[in-house]
Amino acid sequence: MTVNQVDWDFSKRGQEDVARHQKKIKDSIRENIADVISEESIISRKKGQTVKIPIRGIKSYQFIYGKRKGGEGGGGYGLGHGKKDKGDVIGRRPAPNGEGDGPGKGGKPADAAGEDYMETEVDIEELIQMMMDDLQLPDLRKKEIAETVVPSGWSFEDVEKHGLKPNLDKKRSFKNAIKRAADSVSRLAEKTGRPMEMCQKALNKFKGDYQKALELLQKEDPGAELEDQEDKLKPFIQHGDLRYRVPKENVESHSNAVILAMMDVSGSMSTTKKYLARSFFFWMVEFLKHKYRNVEIRFIAHTSEAKLVDEDEFFHKGESGGTICASAYDLACQLVDTDYPPSKWNIYAFHFSDGEDWDPAKTMLSVKRLMEKSPNMVGYGEIRTEVAYGQQLMRNFEESFSLERYTSYRDSDFEYYLAQRAELPLAGVILKNKGHVYPALKVFFSKEKRI
Amino acid sequence: MSDSREKDDVKRLVRADNHIQKVVAEYGLDCFPQEFDVIPAQKMLEIMSYNLPVNYSHWSFGRDYEKQRTQYEYSGGIPYEVVLNSNPSRAFLMKTNPYPIQVLVMAHVYGHNDFMKNNIYFGRTRRDMLTSASEAAGRLRKYEEDYGIDEVERLIDAAQAIQMHIEADLFQESAIQPESPDPKKRIPRVGSPFGDLFDFDGQLTSKSFEEKREEARKAKKKIPAEPDADMMGFIMRHAPRGFEEWELDVLSVVRDQSIYFMPQRKTKVMNEGWASFWHMRIMSRLFQDGFLSPEEHGYYNLYNARVLASNPFGLNPYLLGIKTFLNIEKRYNAGQFGPEWERSESPDKWNIDLNVGKGMEKIFEVRRTHMDWFFLDEFMNRQVVEESELYIFGSKQQGNVEEFTVEETNWSTIKDLVVRSFAHSGVPLIKVTDGDYGGKRELYLRHFYDGLTLEEEYARQTLRHVFSLWDRPVHLETVEVEGNSETRIQLTYDGKGFSKINLGTYVQE
Repeated sequence: MTVNQVDWDFSKRGQEDVARHQKKIKDSIRENIADVISEESIISRKKGQTVKIPIRGIKSYQFIYGKRKGGEGGGGYGLGHGKKDKGDVIGRRPAPNGEGDGPGKGGKPADAAGEDYMETEVDIEELIQMMMDDLQLPDLRKKEIAETVVPSGWSFEDVEKHGLKPNLDKKRSFKNAIKRAADSVSRLAEKTGRPMEMCQKALNKFKGDYQKALELLQKEDPGAELEDQEDKLKPFIQHGDLRYRVPKENVESHSNAVILAMMDVSGSMSTTKKYLARSFFFWMVEFLKHKYRNVEIRFIAHTSEAKLVDEDEFFHKGESGGTICASAYDLACQLVDTDYPPSKWNIYAFHFSDGEDWDPAKTMLSVKRLMEKSPNMVGYGEIRTEVAYGQQLMRNFEESFSLERYTSYRDSDFEYYLAQRAELPLAGVILKNKGHVYPALKVFFSKEKRI
Repeated sequence: MSDSREKDDVKRLVRADNHIQKVVAEYGLDCFPQEFDVIPAQKMLEIMSYNLPVNYSHWSFGRDYEKQRTQYEYSGGIPYEVVLNSNPSRAFLMKTNPYPIQVLVMAHVYGHNDFMKNNIYFGRTRRDMLTSASEAAGRLRKYEEDYGIDEVERLIDAAQAIQMHIEADLFQESAIQPESPDPKKRIPRVGSPFGDLFDFDGQLTSKSFEEKREEARKAKKKIPAEPDADMMGFIMRHAPRGFEEWELDVLSVVRDQSIYFMPQRKTKVMNEGWASFWHMRIMSRLFQDGFLSPEEHGYYNLYNARVLASNPFGLNPYLLGIKTFLNIEKRYNAGQFGPEWERSESPDKWNIDLNVGKGMEKIFEVRRTHMDWFFLDEFMNRQVVEESELYIFGSKQQGNVEEFTVEETNWSTIKDLVVRSFAHSGVPLIKVTDGDYGGKRELYLRHFYDGLTLEEEYARQTLRHVFSLWDRPVHLETVEVEGNSETRIQLTYDGKGFSKINLGTYVQE
């Protein structure tokens, strides 16, 4: 007998080890969050809260071969089969480290040809939690909503025994008087044994004075003295009966945030540059959704003129024309005035450009005007994906608002600018590659001042 | 599937097996008794990722399992085959595969069976690995309970990182002894004929090391006396931190399995080439004998083509192996061999046909005596390289695109690279040259560079694992290349960070 049908008793081992590996992948995502969050598949996801992103499987490291002597390019090599000539291109893929990595990285192409990658499903919410942990934002994590309180007029709900004359609550005071009078009649009747009518007349005679009424009723024949009195209940208002209304200021609570997304869409802003901005705005919306009940985003595209556009146009359509950044800030100011009063809205204004501006002085004036409208935060991001760049609008920000330049602890290539006066909610970032999106978010959202 | 249906399927496979056995005997293959287990797909993927039907638990197996499963789901069925090196030989058939694929796998398995029974590198391997691995799985599970899963995992991670750097004489019974219940007795003995300066006596106290060290210092000799390629064994014997019994057990389990698979690693191309060579012959015979219908044979052909497909991004051992065996068979049948023929530069030498008919005899001989390194060095000639359409490619960055370009199609350059990468079982040769570096019991490793560098990121991460075992700074001497310039460097990891020293231009010894 040589062929057996075997019914295996399945152990759970395989699944356990899969879970263990998954946990390691999650740890690795946490460590490489800067790369992960700028994955195109996340930003451009159509629906749903989960996305599949390519993640390198956790490697088993051993001593392996790397380059060969005399190899071209990076020197990394692989062997393959096929009818090919020297110089034939057998495959292409997006460069592993994004733009600006230069030639000659020389990894291991055989390994790089893709087999190492596995698609892993990640929950956007899970990614946000990871970032929140990293940004040390426990209050955002708990979804504590930030509320803004706005007065909406006055009302009187409570009453007090003391107050100002104009606030006297006559009706309530009168009621108190009636109640007290009725009460006194019963007590007099009980104490003296006289009929209720007589007690009533006695009270009326002395204008509600309980003591005097009692003294009279305790005499031999009080009836004679009370003949001319009415037996109807007449309330006499006393000091203790008075009630005053308490005036109260009414408030409404709001939890609104608006992102005023501004971007230069002139020809020099390439798709890659716009992608960085898009990635930044995506996470910004996700973050703010954890803080405010209602988050709106308005897109202001500008060349030499600014206009409101929809999201698709903002990120995907380029336009010809000059570059006057002031136009975008002016339109932002106008929007705040008409649609987003700072009393009811938390305003987050961000502007991305590649640094070019035909009239930086004018732009600085417009930025100042926007700053005067008490926004929560104004940010300027300069995208420099190319090595050679011309004008740098960041310089103007630096001078006009006395910003201080810093580099990130973790990535010395990442530069950011903070206001020296802590109360000035203005910061600048320079984005050179995908990996800079996360530190940029950190600059604006982290609890830590320096990142 | 109903029970009776399953029984019918098994009956059918038994009939195929009987027929294959007849053909196998006629062809002169010499096999162990063969057993087939028909198993569900999930179990098959599990065996493939765990290397064995039962094995210890580790995240890397989980990762491989997940990869296998993804591949299985997307590829729409690959003729998976797993044969265990045991007597009787044991192989697995995936329940879900269609009949012609099962027959293909069975035919292929008989090729492996013959190879593993007859190739000299398999001569002394342990045939009791299944029981041993299953017992080890139990013990390691216990260690996880006692010492924590993270602790055990870290140790396995480190052990796996250096598991290829072992040396065991595959022709010596003692090197591959069955394990002893006492972990201390399982510490590898000195394998090389030169050996350490001292014999290991089972004492792990640092005192004995101190004494030996003093002796070594007086004698102005190093520990090890000669560079030791058995890095793992050296670390197990001499790590200054010393190991607990359970730790030694874990290291031994990983090491024993690595030794067990050594013959397979050394003969991957030959073994797959041989099995493919024979499955093709056997399948043709079954078709000729009317045992397979034309439809079934056509189906088989489709899958056979997948097995031998040209992979643009990797060497296909099945393809290179069968091309080499076919070339040997052809040349030895035609009389294209011998010193004179080898020396000849004339292109006509490929057209000589003396009809000497020595092909079959030669390939049977080669399957007995060779391993990949020597096999490719001796038989991978111009024709083999050209027929298997091999090339070397590299990668270049073009803007934000990485481009893979063919860099070399010259047969001798390709052969040179292939042979070099198959030397030492395809593992870069790294030896321990000093276990007391700088007099501070630091570990010094030297890469014996031969035109191929170490992948730096991998080298760094592996050094960290070595450090976790040695627990003192570890050094690695290797060579970096940039185009044609070669620089010797010393990479050091001290538990906190890496440092790199330039040791000057590399001069070949």
